Amino acid sequence: MGKIYQAKMSRRESIKRIGSMTAVVMVGGVTVACDTAEPATPESATNPSTGHWPGIELKPIKGPTYGTDPIVSAPTVPWPLTLSEEQKDQVAVLSDLICPADQRGLSATAVGVPDVIDEWVSAPYPGQQRDREQIVNGLQWLDDEAHLRFENFFAGLTEEKQTAIVEDIAYRSQYEVAQFELPARFFSRFRRLVFGAYFSSPEGIEDIGYMGNVAIAGDYPGPTDEAMEHIRQVASGLGLPPITEYVNQL
Amino acid sequence: MASFDGFEYEVIVVGSGAGGGMAAHVLTEAGIKVLLLEAGRDYDPITETPMFHQNHDAPLRGTSTSEKNFGYYDATVDGGWQVPGEPYTQAPDSRFMWWRARMLGGRTNHWGRLVPRFTAADFKPFSTDGVGTDWPVDYEEIAPWYDKCEALIGVCGDNPGLDDTPSSSEGVLLPPPKPRVMELLLKSACESLGIAAVPMRRAILTQPKDDRQACFWATPCGRGCAVGAAFQTTTSLIPWARKTGNLKIVTNAMVKEVHLGDAGKASGLTFVNRLNRENVRVNADYVILAASACETARLLLNSISEGFPNGLANGSGQVGRNLMDSLGAGVSGHIPALRNRPKYNEDGHTGNHLYIPWWGREGQKNGELNFSRGYHFEVGAWFSSPSMGIAGAVDGYGKQAKDEIRSNYGTNIGLSLRGEMLVSDDCYCEIDEKTVDQWGIPVLKFHWKWSEQELNQVAHGLKWGRKIIEAMGGVINNPDRTAEQAIEAGGQIIHEVGTTRMGDDPSTSVCNKWGQTWDVENLYVMDGGVFVSNPHKNCTITILTLAMRNATRLAEQLRASKEQKHHG
Repeated sequence: MGKIYQAKMSRRESIKRIGSMTAVVMVGGVTVACDTAEPATPESATNPSTGHWPGIELKPIKGPTYGTDPIVSAPTVPWPLTLSEEQKDQVAVLSDLICPADQRGLSATAVGVPDVIDEWVSAPYPGQQRDREQIVNGLQWLDDEAHLRFENFFAGLTEEKQTAIVEDIAYRSQYEVAQFELPARFFSRFRRLVFGAYFSSPEGIEDIGYMGNVAIAGDYPGPTDEAMEHIRQVASGLGLPPITEYVNQL
Repeated sequence: MASFDGFEYEVIVVGSGAGGGMAAHVLTEAGIKVLLLEAGRDYDPITETPMFHQNHDAPLRGTSTSEKNFGYYDATVDGGWQVPGEPYTQAPDSRFMWWRARMLGGRTNHWGRLVPRFTAADFKPFSTDGVGTDWPVDYEEIAPWYDKCEALIGVCGDNPGLDDTPSSSEGVLLPPPKPRVMELLLKSACESLGIAAVPMRRAILTQPKDDRQACFWATPCGRGCAVGAAFQTTTSLIPWARKTGNLKIVTNAMVKEVHLGDAGKASGLTFVNRLNRENVRVNADYVILAASACETARLLLNSISEGFPNGLANGSGQVGRNLMDSLGAGVSGHIPALRNRPKYNEDGHTGNHLYIPWWGREGQKNGELNFSRGYHFEVGAWFSSPSMGIAGAVDGYGKQAKDEIRSNYGTNIGLSLRGEMLVSDDCYCEIDEKTVDQWGIPVLKFHWKWSEQELNQVAHGLKWGRKIIEAMGGVINNPDRTAEQAIEAGGQIIHEVGTTRMGDDPSTSVCNKWGQTWDVENLYVMDGGVFVSNPHKNCTITILTLAMRNATRLAEQLRASKEQKHHG
């Protein structure tokens, strides 16, 4: 697959979103997987006074969707993937900078995060299409910035040089730095997707310690002794009435 | 007796959700032949529910999209906020969202299964606070039916004896699951503020019942439940009705018009066969509409005759009026003291084990509040299966960011306000003369406007929700959000009711207290359309209960008239 875009060093035109948000969506007391795509950006954020932004405008993806009645017990992804090999390499490098291996878990690439990102940005849904534009531009910005600073593409840099660029865009406070606002917003969004994909993978679920999704016969066992002891201490530390086990009033 | 496809029947039921499923069950058990029409496709939770699937088994890790609004695994078929080819419209400046499903069992396949009873005061709002209209029934009359209905469907919970939580009779309820630790902390924080957190009543079997298994404490209920532990009509009322041999179900039957025959009675109806787009006319001795409050109103408004130029059974002009939803708003935060808390399996029945009932009735009586009625808080605070949003507000990158997410896991709390709105002339639906759906049926246009009453109530809820989370040592998300910003759109809580309300006066109501339309004696409504007010308690248990009571009366009348004929 060839490059799907032309590298540009122009001042950017537009992207349409703001930084990451936390949302708890509840339905009948049940949390619902929420659309993590973000709302439109104020106009002020779309015209940086300094810096560069590729301003790549992508044609909307019109590929097949899974429809409103997919066979949910046998899921498939019907849309074709769209990231180029170069983009996937770059996604891999950036994903591992964001989510490296450590004592408790694997790296992003070891659990297939770039594949999830590719599936995500290739999806023909409005939220994912907005992410695609931001991410394709953000990846191009990284390459452009790498060329400006180090005369090489991003994935070809040493980790030290990659980190030097990332350090300028990895924090929300950098939304306030005009030349880094758009790259920093891209980074926030990308980070959210990387960690979402990592911790929702089978290995990530084990890493974070989710212990559910197993059938239990009989009554729900409730908190462990350790968890009860801990919550008693927390309540006591907060000066709250003592925690007592709830007694049913049938 | 009418017949369809070789099946003879007396009653047509339109819709197979809570009201229609219950009506079909009650009538067929009584030996009455029923033709059940469902607009959506056939659906079988036993074979179709993705039990034990994880987010990573689904496209986009299960995240919601424009085609699956509550996530990939939500049970809703061909629906959500939009149904393909079946639009609805909104008046200028009105924002209303209408959740529909096109499947056997309707929205009972995915609902929250939260089943709080209305109180005596809830049935008599006007007598209580001078606002709105009293129901033509009272709690004493309905209480035994609540008992019967709860015992039939299976409800877990308890009887804390608060003024907002009427008790069930002894032996009706199944035991609720133990609270999770954050719910215990919430309860303690509430105690410090003088309010109570008690078990949420849910239509979940915590013990086996008839041919349904007990909950095994895994797999979100919104997907549907293959073992029948989470109540839906497709694993209970409908298969039971089928077993009697007295039921015929026609799926993909989108009813477009109810016909008026001689003597002012309904003579039958016409549906569109969604598979071949043909119109099919069927006759009936009795018609029960339970298509959902708004769909039933639409059907009546689209059934025009000389006698009823404004819609069938609409002599009062009230069809489509009095539309209500629950108020919705969220307060959320995280509890730093719970970082790195001990892990254990917190799936439970995958809904909230405790909730906060309305505590303000005394304050209201004393004139301390600037709104009528009240709300409750549903609680979301447990270790849930990691999803794409798990990074939350983490900043930076690398090992530190990764560790931050691990530490914060299970510290978030969300309180969902569900409140009572008042009946308003500003909130209703009517036929949009300019728009038809893909079946050629004119669509609904919604009118909606929140009043000061609702905004004041949400403001109160935001203040108290924040107080509660702060008492837990929590940090509030969006602490400056106003009621105007926080209040959700009309319809968004999916508790829409009131569009064919019952009453004592035919000039101000569509149905009498039995769900029988005043104008057409063999035409009944058994969905949420009959509600007179919309107490903050989730509506489904009352839809089920009223349908059970009203279908039982109809069955008795049909049996009596048969016996009369037999002896006569």
